[in-house]
Amino acid sequence: MAAPLTLLLIVAVTIRAVLFRSSLAELISARVEVVSPLNAWKRVVEGLALLDLGVSPYSGDVFHETPLMIYLFHFTVDYAEIVFIVSAYFFRKQKYALESDRYSADCLELLRSPKEMFYIPLKVAMFYLLNPFTILSCVAKSTCGLNNAIIALFIFCTLKGSALLSGILLALATYQSIYPLTLFAPALLFFLQRLYIPVNLRRSSFWFFTLQYAFMYVGSLVVITGLSFFLLGSWDFIPSVYGFIFSVPDLTPNIGLFWYFFAEMFEHFRLFFSCVFQINVFFYTIPLSIKLKEHPVFLIFMQIAIISIFKSYPTVGDVALYMAFLPAWSHLYRFLRNIFLVSCVLLACSALFPVLWHLWIYAGSANSNFYYAITLLFNFGQVKVFTTTWLTNCEWKNRWRNKVSLFINLY
Amino acid sequence: MSHDLLQMHLKAVISCLVIVLYKVHTTKAGQFFSSGHTNNWAVLVCTSRFWFNYRHVANTLSVYRSVKRLGIPDSHIVLMLADDMACNYRNPKPATVFSHKNMELNVYGDDVEVDYRGYEVTVENFLRVLTGRLPPSTPRSKRLLSDDRSNILIYLTGHGGNGFLKFQDSEEISNMELADAFEQMWQKRRYNELLFIIDTCQGASMYERFYSPNLMALASSQVGEDSLSHQPDLGIGVHLMDKYTFYLLEFLEEVHPASQANMNDLFKVCPQSQCVSTPGHRTDLFQRDPGSVLITDFFGSVRKVEITKDTINLTSPVEPPIKRSGSSDIQIESLTYVDQLPVAEIIHQKPKQKDWHPPDGFILGLWTLILLVFFQTYGIKHLKHIF
Repeated sequence: MAAPLTLLLIVAVTIRAVLFRSSLAELISARVEVVSPLNAWKRVVEGLALLDLGVSPYSGDVFHETPLMIYLFHFTVDYAEIVFIVSAYFFRKQKYALESDRYSADCLELLRSPKEMFYIPLKVAMFYLLNPFTILSCVAKSTCGLNNAIIALFIFCTLKGSALLSGILLALATYQSIYPLTLFAPALLFFLQRLYIPVNLRRSSFWFFTLQYAFMYVGSLVVITGLSFFLLGSWDFIPSVYGFIFSVPDLTPNIGLFWYFFAEMFEHFRLFFSCVFQINVFFYTIPLSIKLKEHPVFLIFMQIAIISIFKSYPTVGDVALYMAFLPAWSHLYRFLRNIFLVSCVLLACSALFPVLWHLWIYAGSANSNFYYAITLLFNFGQVKVFTTTWLTNCEWKNRWRNKVSLFINLY
Repeated sequence: MSHDLLQMHLKAVISCLVIVLYKVHTTKAGQFFSSGHTNNWAVLVCTSRFWFNYRHVANTLSVYRSVKRLGIPDSHIVLMLADDMACNYRNPKPATVFSHKNMELNVYGDDVEVDYRGYEVTVENFLRVLTGRLPPSTPRSKRLLSDDRSNILIYLTGHGGNGFLKFQDSEEISNMELADAFEQMWQKRRYNELLFIIDTCQGASMYERFYSPNLMALASSQVGEDSLSHQPDLGIGVHLMDKYTFYLLEFLEEVHPASQANMNDLFKVCPQSQCVSTPGHRTDLFQRDPGSVLITDFFGSVRKVEITKDTINLTSPVEPPIKRSGSSDIQIESLTYVDQLPVAEIIHQKPKQKDWHPPDGFILGLWTLILLVFFQTYGIKHLKHIF
């Protein structure tokens, strides 16, 4: 297992290194699909330069990273490329460990041979490291890669069973961008399942553990926020980072759904619609957790997909995060419908993004509607992936139940 | 007795001579200083578009050329051309507008400054320029910033009729509107004296309705007559100029800034034998005698200079700066005219490029927490599982 993994790692690092050194790096780091105002490297450098000049980096609309990122980057700004490759490495390591530690109740040896299972971690690692989206994101030095690494670490710690670490990492992920807040529910469900605590609202053991976990999570969030206050000595980062994520003031086109809508809206309705759009991200947590309470890892996947489709400034790095998970559910492949359609849609949209951008901005013969159409189609494709996976999961569960009952009946 | 008589006669003659000489002297000097204007403006408008109206653009540009030659700067000229003949695709000699056939004189030149071009030449814009009612975003070059000591020359050319002038082939300005615009200008003290020249068919109808003081008007034809164009150029294919303005240009070419030619000479430009139409003029609203009005009062920008032989003592206007007590370490030199900007302070001071370091408390706190979590999770004795 180590050999193919090492080979994979070498290939991935080589590709990234080659692209870093080529002239494409400049081009890629300027593409709006790959970087967003939240995680663009250019803005990190700007913020650090402002800091060196004695000005708060949060003054003005340049810098929207959290203070811990400032701390991380202020001494590595020249070696940024290495940081990003290392984060990709971390991610890979976590993915690998994650898959090898998969909780056996979530997959069934009846429908999948152990040999297949053996290769899943490698496939997941490959899906992530060699995914063109991740490569683009890494070459553009978008901090999305770091966010992905933190989320991967969080999943890893959750699966390992360490509630404290999982809480801390979840707090860190939430601190980076608020949306991983929704991952609290699946993590909680996972721990409850692991500790054999039934999810019953009347049981005191349920509440006890929930409170413990919540306390660890909220406590670490408070500690991290307090630390960030002490870094710069002011609370400026809260409106700059979280206010920015929620109120979506920057309407640069990206692959998300917010910009076009908000560009056309009257100011009067802006608050209403930003609330509606943001609620859309958090809304699916409760119904999905009720439905999927026995499958918290799948729920994590669902949540990550929802976040990356409906967040305010998505980039292709977020898309790559949940796509990397797909091999974990290879037992569903047999039942996946519309695979061809969906993959064609996603491929075509990825190819059309730069084309229509060029036509709109440079050639002037298209307009924003063209680009938004492709955005919509891309998100539609993602939603299709999401729902198809979900439906096949349901169908697979039903089939398994039928098979098991048949099995039991036979004996 | 005869000696006294002779003396008396001599005194009378001498006093008469003195009086006569004095009068002559004051007339000349008085003439020189009597106009009462301190600056000159010109508003030159060509209102026709399309290639076959080449001559109207050439008319306007000829007057522009003369006016510039005689000293009015571009900042004081509002030139409105409704179409671009020099860069018209039908112009066989691009970037030129000729006024004489055989291409003797290119009135376009290479320093023409058109302020209102193409579709900007509208009745509304013209009236706004005259009355000064322009939106605040209008640049200075498009404004007529005249005051009550300004002499303004207004020249209009295009297609007109009895009581109207056609703008851009789509709208008209009537003589009443024009008269009201001039009255607005008078009430707002926007001119000292105004000379209005119009070269259109039935041009005299346009100045019939004026009622404001200090207006003098000239037109190329009377009511019921057409103003005719002068010569076609077979190389360019259109008529190059109108007759009236052609002879006006010839007349103005003789005028130089020190010339004493007056308005009466201008009234004689292009008699019927040359122009076929009868040029008209109107001077009843003008307070001075036209014979005493110099051409350069309107077409040029002659400055009045007063020569004095007395010496004037200029007191020193700049006082040395008061020394500040407890001055900062940077030396503040006394600012002279040349050293108004303390360049020495700027150049020698490089931006302090010190790197920002996070506060120590932060680093301490962060790493303590990380270590705590690490040991909490893994415990000291389990470290070997990790490494």
